Amino acid sequence: MNNEKAKKVSLFFGVLGVATVLLLHYMVFFWVPTESSMGIVQRIFYIHVPSWWVAFIAFGAVALCSGVYLWLGDDRLDAAAVTAAEGGMIFTSIGLLTGPLWGKIAWGAWWTWEPRLTLALLLWFIYLGYFLVRRSTLNPERGKRLAAVVGIIGVLDIPLIHVSVSWLRSLHPEAVVLNPDGPTLDGSMLATLMVGLLAYTLIFISLFTMRYTTEVLDRATRVQST
Amino acid sequence: MISLKGVNEFKNNAMAILFLALCFPGMAQAQATASSLGSQSLGRPYWHVFTAYAIAWLLVLLWMVAISRRLGRIEDRVGSAVRD
Repeated sequence: MNNEKAKKVSLFFGVLGVATVLLLHYMVFFWVPTESSMGIVQRIFYIHVPSWWVAFIAFGAVALCSGVYLWLGDDRLDAAAVTAAEGGMIFTSIGLLTGPLWGKIAWGAWWTWEPRLTLALLLWFIYLGYFLVRRSTLNPERGKRLAAVVGIIGVLDIPLIHVSVSWLRSLHPEAVVLNPDGPTLDGSMLATLMVGLLAYTLIFISLFTMRYTTEVLDRATRVQST
Repeated sequence: MISLKGVNEFKNNAMAILFLALCFPGMAQAQATASSLGSQSLGRPYWHVFTAYAIAWLLVLLWMVAISRRLGRIEDRVGSAVRD
């Protein structure tokens, strides 16, 4: 993808994303009803869940690109993987920081070492390790391959995070959308959540495109300058 | 030769758009004080909600700034290569 095309794609998704974010904020602060048991703090849910949704998409992309990179050795796939990993870290951090803000009000504690929270924190550390491994070898190509392996192994934590609530003794609220019995959320809350998921996905696609283009440019100019 | 003009134009536009988005939670809070929410005091749960939204957009903004700085470094490198 050339610069101009990347700019257009990124701008298109960026404008759509910001418009959806504005709609999300309107819905969260003025439209959606307050949840009866948790009260106003439940509104954190509308950014907490989308941040994890995007993080899981990003780390899924890391695993996919890393797997194909190990197979084909195409440097663009490694660039896409490192870009997705960076985005995944950002959105995982949002999830890890917004969760305790809800937990302090709902549970009376910022953090508890229950299965889902612990596995979620582990995911953050796995992808921190992804970046550390990349820089830990003298041969950059070897670092990329080792990081690709970490990227593939790390994604295995995601299904564990998902099932931890039902399989293990967990304090975390159970799934209200991806529930075997169907969504259990009120219609307006579900609509607000869907807008949040869309907004975060669009913002991620926009920034991913821009960051990926930057990464490819960076590598190209490094090759030219050496 | 790699053209960075388009990417930099995008960077400026995107920064302006994100700035507006970041302002929005603040606007919503200001308006809330004038609506039915305003009849209640802004207790601790409200501040947790506003802090959560602020953190979310701050981290997204930080990622964007990091991308912009990286673009700037590439531009400098290309510029110095052209001068040499």
